[in-house]
Amino acid sequence: MTLPILPTTVVGSYSMPGWLERLKTEFYARRISRRDLDEIHDTAVKAAIKDQEVAGLDIITDGELRRDNMIDYFAERLPGVQIDHSSKKFHYDFYDSKVLGKLPTAPLGLVEDFKFLRSFTERETKFCVTGPHSLSKRIRNEYYPTEEEFAMDLARVMNPELKAIAKAGAHFIQIDEPNYSGFPEDLPWAVKALNAMVDGVEAKIAVHICYGNRYGKPSWEGSYRYLLPGILDAKVHQLTLEFARRGGEDLDHFRDLPARLELGVGVIDVKTQAIETPDLVADRIRKALNVIPAERIVVLPDCGCLHLPRDVAFAKLSAMVEGTHLVRKELQN
Amino acid sequence: MIVQFNHLQRKPAASTTQEVVDTLYSLLEEGRIEQEQFARLRVQLDWIQYRQNFRECVMATKATSDRTEQFPPLEVHIDTRQVTPGCLREAILRNLANSADFPTPGAANPHREGVFLEDFRPFRESIAWGFNRLYWHRLADWEQFTGRGYELALPGGKSDANHPAAVADCVADFWTLLRDLENRKQLPEEIFVMEIGVGMGTRSGLWLDRFHALDRERGTNYYPRLKFLLGDYSLATLERSRPAVKEHLDLCSFVVLDALNPLKNLAFLRHKILHIHLTNVYDNLPDEEFARRDGRLYAVQVRAYIPPAGAQRISKELDVPADDIPRTVNRLLEGGPDYLSDRQRGVAFWQETWQAMRLEERLVSLDDLPDLAIPGDLRTSQLEEVLEEAPSDVRFHLSSGALESFHNTLPLLHPRGFLQVQDIFVTNFNEYRLGFHGPGKLDGSIVNWVNGALLREVGERAGYDVHFAPFHYRKGSKTSILYTTQRE
Repeated sequence: MTLPILPTTVVGSYSMPGWLERLKTEFYARRISRRDLDEIHDTAVKAAIKDQEVAGLDIITDGELRRDNMIDYFAERLPGVQIDHSSKKFHYDFYDSKVLGKLPTAPLGLVEDFKFLRSFTERETKFCVTGPHSLSKRIRNEYYPTEEEFAMDLARVMNPELKAIAKAGAHFIQIDEPNYSGFPEDLPWAVKALNAMVDGVEAKIAVHICYGNRYGKPSWEGSYRYLLPGILDAKVHQLTLEFARRGGEDLDHFRDLPARLELGVGVIDVKTQAIETPDLVADRIRKALNVIPAERIVVLPDCGCLHLPRDVAFAKLSAMVEGTHLVRKELQN
Repeated sequence: MIVQFNHLQRKPAASTTQEVVDTLYSLLEEGRIEQEQFARLRVQLDWIQYRQNFRECVMATKATSDRTEQFPPLEVHIDTRQVTPGCLREAILRNLANSADFPTPGAANPHREGVFLEDFRPFRESIAWGFNRLYWHRLADWEQFTGRGYELALPGGKSDANHPAAVADCVADFWTLLRDLENRKQLPEEIFVMEIGVGMGTRSGLWLDRFHALDRERGTNYYPRLKFLLGDYSLATLERSRPAVKEHLDLCSFVVLDALNPLKNLAFLRHKILHIHLTNVYDNLPDEEFARRDGRLYAVQVRAYIPPAGAQRISKELDVPADDIPRTVNRLLEGGPDYLSDRQRGVAFWQETWQAMRLEERLVSLDDLPDLAIPGDLRTSQLEEVLEEAPSDVRFHLSSGALESFHNTLPLLHPRGFLQVQDIFVTNFNEYRLGFHGPGKLDGSIVNWVNGALLREVGERAGYDVHFAPFHYRKGSKTSILYTTQRE
């Protein structure tokens, strides 16, 4: 599938409708069945796919609407992770989950999610998975001697699933690692775990690193300065980063990014409901073009649209697409 | 009939309780109250802690509804502290007559006595808040007339905000946070701190003095990086606060802002402020109440009026005819006390009307208010979820202004920052069943307990855990400290 220059996409999640939040919470209160919830999820994912298409995105995700949050969806699937199902009231809360022994290997059921996405869009797709560092920071480790060993084993267990997703036709897989920014000192071993997770996976691999987006607010502040040079050891094809909210001040750090790496440039601030104009988006892309050539830029929001109301998310993505068109025209001329 | 009585430890209240029951039974036997109405009657006996408040000692509140109900819920509230022995029967009868039908929301009650200052509306839109605004804008006039400063009206005659030990603890917590951020190499170059509702600036001055001393003592050199914002909606108040921080003026910025929406003026500081503090601001923000009765949710609407005795006194002493009081009040609120021939007379009229002013109440079913807006991004479905855990028949504050302020302040916090609010909080819906929680009058302003349980809910959905701790620095203080921490 040929993509245009400056392809547009979301980071992963799409707006979570209020009614879906409510139904998820109803499920935890045992007022609706698993089967009903699965059907609700299917319907919501189809709507999210359609919204992205209508907004004009080139690369589509499933909006991650089946997921309560970026940890629990995986924690529930990982064999050997024990979960206290009574430990959350609201679907977005984290479960109290822990590991008491060595993780066994088993299918995680993510391939089915990818196949569902693939069957409802003709456009290029991206499939997103939380990375081993972020999972190791949230699932309580009561077995492995170190966090690093725990993360490496998570990577070992998840690697076959990623291979299976690629085998099912996924050309593009993104690993989400927002916790790097909170624990910059972990970067050396976190990158090792990331490499182990994607080792031998026949797909384009991106890693998304932001400053957190829990409840629509940053979890950390700082600068991407910490990523360099450590992140260059990552065996990935694309870095997907947050630039819009922070005014692009970090862009300069990536001026000398090796040619093998693309840069996913965040041009939409997902932590405010103010809708960017296409001109503002175009301006942000032009700033990125001063640092890296157009052929290596992917245009996307800073992070997931999960916490934005649907109309706001749709308007922001539409503005992003329109702003990208403005710059494409300039490049053609 | 349901009788709910609080403050049993007060002997006069206990004797009034007996008198209330006897009186109501005699009215039933005399046929002055219908049997069916009697069955649904709820009588609430309170010992109202604010001597100055908006209620007469007996007040009837009736529910209105589009639904055809022969006997909708009817409540009689009796302040057992104020009731005059021997007058109860007459007061109950008068109030029952006054609460006669108001067929639809918005319609006036032709039987009501007194001078009305407005039509029924949510409390947050009441003219009472116009008086509250006037008080803060023309505080000097009020103080000059009464001969005492507003802090003297506070319980104990001074504000808990300025307690040195509380300030020292807050500074110590803040210093620890800075140290932690520095160790993680995440300390911002500029360290923003903000106080909203600065009063005389005393707390800000104490805080800065203490922080400066601690920083010097520990040699951390954070003090020069501080950017301290003093925020208040009154420029006059900000001016009065300057002397208190005169040693730190280089670090201070004085910002006129609306406590309901600090983000409006300070959006450029989104996610940047490491500590925000407020004392006794939420209890003075516009509010309204809801009640759940027989499984249905009602909004409490109010209508300000001057009772006949008060109207007569104002007419006689200030030469303003009773019919002219509403117009004169509007002129007062628009133009201040100077608007009446001379300032002295204007302030006298202001204080007399404020003291005499009462709020008539009625309950309006939420089904009849489809456009109801709840602030703070709190959805009605969320409110219903919260109420699932609450007692089945409870009347509570929505704390609209506090919710709005809280919701519009949190985005200013740095990811590791914390918000501290010292105020009078109801931290659990059950507390609403234990007594009256306002509104009351504090000098020329309004004071109202704040629904901390709802704030907690809004905070959690915004990604913050909300904790309440008693203000243990002063014995007998009713203040609590709300403290936010980042929610994982």
